[in-house]
Amino acid sequence: MRRLLTRGDVQLLVILVIATVTAFPASDIAAGYNDGTAVISSPSGTTTVDLDEPATYRVEGRSGVVTFEVSDEGLRCVDSDCPDQVCVRMGLVSAGHPVVCAPQGVTAMLSAKGRQDVDAVSR
Amino acid sequence: MQSRADDLPTRVVAMTALYLALASVLGLVEASFLPPLPIPGAKLGLANLAVVLALIQLGPWRALGVTLGRVFVVGLATGMLGGPAFVLSLTGAAVAWFVMWRLTTRGERYSAVGLSLGGAAGHAVAQLVVAVGVIGSAAPLLLMPYSLGMACVTGLAIGLAARLILSRLPQPALSVAR
Repeated sequence: MRRLLTRGDVQLLVILVIATVTAFPASDIAAGYNDGTAVISSPSGTTTVDLDEPATYRVEGRSGVVTFEVSDEGLRCVDSDCPDQVCVRMGLVSAGHPVVCAPQGVTAMLSAKGRQDVDAVSR
Repeated sequence: MQSRADDLPTRVVAMTALYLALASVLGLVEASFLPPLPIPGAKLGLANLAVVLALIQLGPWRALGVTLGRVFVVGLATGMLGGPAFVLSLTGAAVAWFVMWRLTTRGERYSAVGLSLGGAAGHAVAQLVVAVGVIGSAAPLLLMPYSLGMACVTGLAIGLAARLILSRLPQPALSVAR
């Protein structure tokens, strides 16, 4: 093999790394400040969750139920009617880190003061 | 610009089928043995190895057939044909292919590594965008940094693997990259 990476390869890698690195703070800024609540959205509606009150929330997804739990640590997904269980593995909902179940169409994210939705993520 | 090892249609068809089978197997192995990461659609992208090889050796259109074909085969085998996961997979594959194709037509020379990085990034971004559509909130976009980070690593690894394979192939098959 000649050179391991061509000039073009290196350019692309650099661009991608820069995009990744800048996406982190941008994503957190976009998530906004939290006012102690989170929002769980699903095809069957939106639920506002109080993060100070331990409780279990069962949300109707596209084809099953996704279960969330509020505990001392916060809000996390504990079960979902889908084979991959990606949302359960995602852990706690935190700023810039929503928990998503794509097949069921359910997301849980922290509320931003004022705006409920992220309009754009700049990077 | 492209020179193929052998323009005989039979050989090209056979190689396309080979890469389609390879891509399908890689996709299935990935789906069966590797646990999904906590990001919608994020994965190793092993199947892209076959797509990149097909792109380099057989050209963009055959590679398109390979990548779309493997989405269907893997979708059929994993039972997610037609569901939201299928749409994610299909769009990811299509956008990844498109990005890789555009990279081959640029003036700049990219090796399999560059193509793979482009494909991985395109796949990652496309899946998050589609997830926004499927879910109806902008939440998936917040996962962009993790997804792009994965794309850097997997794109690099798969690309290097592709280069290694290409360097071991007997025939002087190469077109845009080596």
